[in-house]
Amino acid sequence: MAKSIELRGFMELSELFRERGWNTPHEVAVPDTMTGPELLALLDVGRERVEVIFVNGKATSPEAATVAGGDRVALAPPGVPGPYRVLLGFKKMG
Amino acid sequence: MPKFIRIDMGAKAVKIEECPEKYAGLAGRGLTSIFVADEVKPTCHPLGKNNKLIFAPGYLTGTSAANSGRLSCGAKSPLTGGIKESNTGGTFAQRMSKMDIKALVFEGLPEGDGFYVVKVTMDGATIEEAPAEIIGMGNYEAIKVLQAKYGPKVGVAIIGPAGEMRLTAANISFADPQSNIRSAGRGGLGAVMGAKKIKAVVIDDTGAPGVTIANPEAFKDASKRFTNALTTHPVTGQALPKYGTNILINILNEAGGLPTKNFRSGRNEWANNVGGETMAAVIESRKGKTTHGCHAGCIIRCSQHYNDKDEKYLTSGFEYETIWALGANACVDDLDAIAYADREFDDVGVDSIETAVTVGVAMEAGIIPWGDAKAMLDLILEIRKGTPLGRILGSGAGALGQMYGLSRVPTVKNQAIPAYDPRAVKGVGLTYATTPMGADHTAGYAVATNILKVGGFVDPLGKAGQVELSRNLQIATAAVDSTGMCLFIAFAILDIADGFNALVEMINARYNLSLTGDDVVALGKTILKAERGFNERAGFTKAHDRLPEFFEEPCAPHNVTWDFTDEEIDEVFNF
Ligand code: SF4
Repeated sequence: MAKSIELRGFMELSELFRERGWNTPHEVAVPDTMTGPELLALLDVGRERVEVIFVNGKATSPEAATVAGGDRVALAPPGVPGPYRVLLGFKKMG
Repeated sequence: MPKFIRIDMGAKAVKIEECPEKYAGLAGRGLTSIFVADEVKPTCHPLGKNNKLIFAPGYLTGTSAANSGRLSCGAKSPLTGGIKESNTGGTFAQRMSKMDIKALVFEGLPEGDGFYVVKVTMDGATIEEAPAEIIGMGNYEAIKVLQAKYGPKVGVAIIGPAGEMRLTAANISFADPQSNIRSAGRGGLGAVMGAKKIKAVVIDDTGAPGVTIANPEAFKDASKRFTNALTTHPVTGQALPKYGTNILINILNEAGGLPTKNFRSGRNEWANNVGGETMAAVIESRKGKTTHGCHAGCIIRCSQHYNDKDEKYLTSGFEYETIWALGANACVDDLDAIAYADREFDDVGVDSIETAVTVGVAMEAGIIPWGDAKAMLDLILEIRKGTPLGRILGSGAGALGQMYGLSRVPTVKNQAIPAYDPRAVKGVGLTYATTPMGADHTAGYAVATNILKVGGFVDPLGKAGQVELSRNLQIATAAVDSTGMCLFIAFAILDIADGFNALVEMINARYNLSLTGDDVVALGKTILKAERGFNERAGFTKAHDRLPEFFEEPCAPHNVTWDFTDEEIDEVFNF
């Protein structure tokens, strides 16, 4: 049975998704599990447009992300204010 | 020598001194906090004769440096009972700097019921009776009256009806370049100004000499690098100008840290309807402005002009925290209703964070139903009328919670907790608990890479590394709050090490100093210690550095709790 993720995009990615006619959230069929870069390739979203991928509410770099059917996934582009990027674990301290 | 102007409202006398030696090296929050710690009796009544209100521009205010037009306002807070620095944009600070005024200090209490306007010019300051028509008038209209009387370009600091009533959520409003409103919002400083019977302060910089720069070439070079850091960064160059701080709604909702229904959950289903992406689309469709600067020289321009359905200007400076407090925490899924509320907060002169959180507490109390936009607007209008309920609402979340016998009241040191759930964003929680300001997210905002040496990622849901993070953020913030720079510069300089260096070099070039990054960090520490010392003398102990009990409940979707021990919390200020 094909599985799907619930996908959201923020800031200019929300505009990109809107241009593509995708809803918020957008349902995307996925194979069992996939890596962040595989997901971005599937979605045709350039790596440089994504700072972190939220998987079920936890932010990780695209390289460290694993996504599976049933997950809630969101893409955040660069542009989240500095302190929050540290406080939400987007960015290393120091 | 810069001027230090004392306006004694009791004696109706003005004293223009040279800046006292001990304050000469200070500016912005450093000056207001060290002054208050030095001159204000910590046990005084905040609305009594012994409290003093001080306005001070930052080190770089009035120069050509980008984003340097901010003003610090300080006093003992009637809301928290502790020290307060509240920071604002508008045109006031730049005028003070150009006139070489280090600080304006308002002291004493006049007799009688009349209100006054303090007028500041190059000849000094005068105390005049306030025009009768502006008493009880909203700020938007009153600013127009004052600028018609004193000149279209004068800077204006004003209290609204809430400040006249000395309500503890009253703010001080400042005219921006379009005569709209920016506010020194938090901590009830409008009530201090109201107690001193100052309806407004107008400042006319005609004939001002302007700011002198000791090393113009070095300043120009550093300023260029600083501007470059801001304009090339994706946050300050693109995201903030387009979406404002409200981009954070969707981000916090996704992270499970967007407090919903008076902090019952960290996520909701409708967040996107009130988020920055939706807001930018609404603004564009109604021919508003997605970007606007709250003072001349701001190049980030996170503010905006939000128009109503008829494309008429409704509000600006429409910030994430206000939208969160009504849109998520009070469950009002209606951006227009929130914009009307924001305008009314500015017009009546109350802190939009404190009052919007209080609206959620009013729903908790059953005064109005959750999410009811019309009932919310009607309730907020009670403040202007000065009804008992309006006065309670305008006195903040703690007051309303007490009147209605609630325990689920999100405050620390009686100041409302803003937009980030402390259970899911634990570093902010430590800052809420420990900052001398009472729950304040901006107390831990500045990220100076050179002091964030801890290394590694912090897990927002875990405890590791959070104490150091909160401490370092608070130290850097206290320093940046002294520069006259908008704190939002910190959104970018985290990634661009040269941005922070350039900031220090600009201060050096202006005053012919040779400060290093470490000196700036030391300044941050000195400020925090002075603030905490004041609070201790005012009766605060470590027991006041605690979050409300209900944060022991798990917060969905991550089901995390506030689980720091008292000892761990106390480590934040162990430096
Ligand atoms: S970034 Fe925003 S708050 Fe800061 S100075 Fe500019 S408009 Fe004002």
